[in-house]
Amino acid sequence: MRLFLLFFAVGVLLLLLQTTFLHLLPIGPVVPDLVLVLCVYLGLHHPTVGAALGSFLLGYSIDVVSSRMLGLNAFAMSLVFLAVYLSSRSIWLHHPVVSSLVVFLAALVKGAALVLAWVVFLSVDSFWMGAARYIITEALTAAVLAPLVFYLLRRGEQFTMRFRAPAQ
Amino acid sequence: MLAFLRKNQVPLSSCFCVLLSIYILTAGARGQLRNEPLGAVVMWILRPLQVVSQGTVNWISGFRDNYDTLSGFKAENERLRKRVQNLEVERQKHLEAEATNHRLQQLLALRSHLSGTAITASIIANSATSWFQSCLLDKGSADGVRKGMAVVTPLGVIGQVVAVTVRTAKVLLLTDANSGIDVLVQRTRSRGIVSGSLENGTVLKYMKRSEDVQEGDRLITSGMDGVFPKGLMVGAVIKVRKQHLGLFQFVEVLPAVQSARTEEVLVVAADNGAAKN
Repeated sequence: MRLFLLFFAVGVLLLLLQTTFLHLLPIGPVVPDLVLVLCVYLGLHHPTVGAALGSFLLGYSIDVVSSRMLGLNAFAMSLVFLAVYLSSRSIWLHHPVVSSLVVFLAALVKGAALVLAWVVFLSVDSFWMGAARYIITEALTAAVLAPLVFYLLRRGEQFTMRFRAPAQ
Repeated sequence: MLAFLRKNQVPLSSCFCVLLSIYILTAGARGQLRNEPLGAVVMWILRPLQVVSQGTVNWISGFRDNYDTLSGFKAENERLRKRVQNLEVERQKHLEAEATNHRLQQLLALRSHLSGTAITASIIANSATSWFQSCLLDKGSADGVRKGMAVVTPLGVIGQVVAVTVRTAKVLLLTDANSGIDVLVQRTRSRGIVSGSLENGTVLKYMKRSEDVQEGDRLITSGMDGVFPKGLMVGAVIKVRKQHLGLFQFVEVLPAVQSARTEEVLVVAADNGAAKN
């Protein structure tokens, strides 16, 4: 329950950051995808049914707030969680460079999922070069921020677990 | 069977989420998603938090702009630093109130030029992803906002309402790749469609090679799409390139309104938002 509340609060906070404060940064139209980093963290460190549903809901929340079509980011985040979960058993996690690399690759998976969904459900001109640019820049910004977000999440978990319920 | 399900519950639930999102996508593409309560719940949770967050962001932006202006007086103001700090706080409050008043006066003037219903709203959030250009308004169906309404400012067009909950509305900006606004070149009255693009910024599409379009030309709404009132500023032409092949020329547009710097907007009904002049 404590962890659920922690990740729920973190998910809401990251969504708020992506829709408000991160737009103050002078990095052009790119918005660092911190929600993606959270989904990767859940896939690596908390591979549970709740985390799978949480990734879906995080993507769905992004769709509700920003996206042209409902289900687009829900599809992408669910796919990212699944891909990270399936590959997590062969990844050594305890190094910032590895976490950055995992997030970078997860961002490429997300980008590929979004491109697939766009091609099927939306018809847009001049798409491919722009999509490639957005995928690469989003992947790089997410990978750069991943070690910090991972560190803060681990500290948050340690802080939460300190408050154990008293024994009956 | 149960053992298999128990052993693979995480990947199975993850696959279920993927399939569910595909179902939502296909239902949305077919227009079958009319009432989806989950989105309303998400907005009910996020809206008050986003109002507070955006207010803080607006305060930070305003304070930063004022600080840049005053930095040239730093040496002179050193001996009066304490008094200046107190006066700066007061000045910030008054400047913000004055700027808000000025913006609202402009909105009121625009509103008087538009026939029919116009609803004033504030932008409380920008897009959470780089792939879509959108923003959230703090007014929804309870305030009279409906899907398809135009969103404008005194400087020009912002976009169109594409989704509405009880207390919020999502606006697709004109810089989004999925948008399309019917415009006229003010000088020559040539018609085209302004839309965003993932590759080339904002562009004016379907402008034939024979049409006269020059850098600096102003683009205004044509009123022909039944969404935007006629005569509102959309943007200005910044680049024209006639390619060797093809029916159309490439025209790049600088939008008149930067949504990131906009706080208050007018939401105008599509069918009766014609400008009085």
